Amino acid sequence: MAFKKIKRKQKGGKRKNSNSNSLSLFQKPSIKFFRPCPLSGKDAPVVDYKNIKLLKKYISESGRILPSRITSISQKKQRELSNAIKRARLLALL
Amino acid sequence: MNCYEHTFIAKKDLPESQIKGLVDKYKDIVTKNSGKTLKVEEWGLRILSYDIKNNKKGFYFHFKIEGNGNTVDALETAEKIDKTLIRFLTVKVKKHDLEINYFVKKEY
Repeated sequence: MAFKKIKRKQKGGKRKNSNSNSLSLFQKPSIKFFRPCPLSGKDAPVVDYKNIKLLKKYISESGRILPSRITSISQKKQRELSNAIKRARLLALL
Repeated sequence: MNCYEHTFIAKKDLPESQIKGLVDKYKDIVTKNSGKTLKVEEWGLRILSYDIKNNKKGFYFHFKIEGNGNTVDALETAEKIDKTLIRFLTVKVKKHDLEINYFVKKEY
């Protein structure tokens, strides 16, 4: 009996280890990858509904607006951008 | 006085005389309603990214206007009736940018 118990404990321990390894894929990385916003700062391009070249960078292939966590755009600029994209869509430019 | 940017799309199968008439017609409406047009851009014939009322192509015109709310109201009511237009859009801006033209075509 005693032998069996020890074995079980070892098994459990092993499982825990493997679990934590697979979980680490979904955990946040300890070092943050900081990228500054490409649309704010000095001599950044102007967000405008007529500037189609710029807007096309920030939509997916199927025409959806990319989230800011992928493009690292600041909140204020993301608002402007989504407004501009919607205006361009209305005029059938995008 | 407010600054507005106004764009409209006209149907593609129009004679040239009628296209030039469109610009003059809407310029008149603006000046009659205490406004003035600073610049008119002609973006030319473009392919629409999706069909609108069975139209696949359209003539784009872009106006830079100074005026008040009544000017825009008069413009839009006139355009709603006009059957040669497909769509229009008015945007209020803080300041006019008269130099950059993203669609380089004729200007007058």
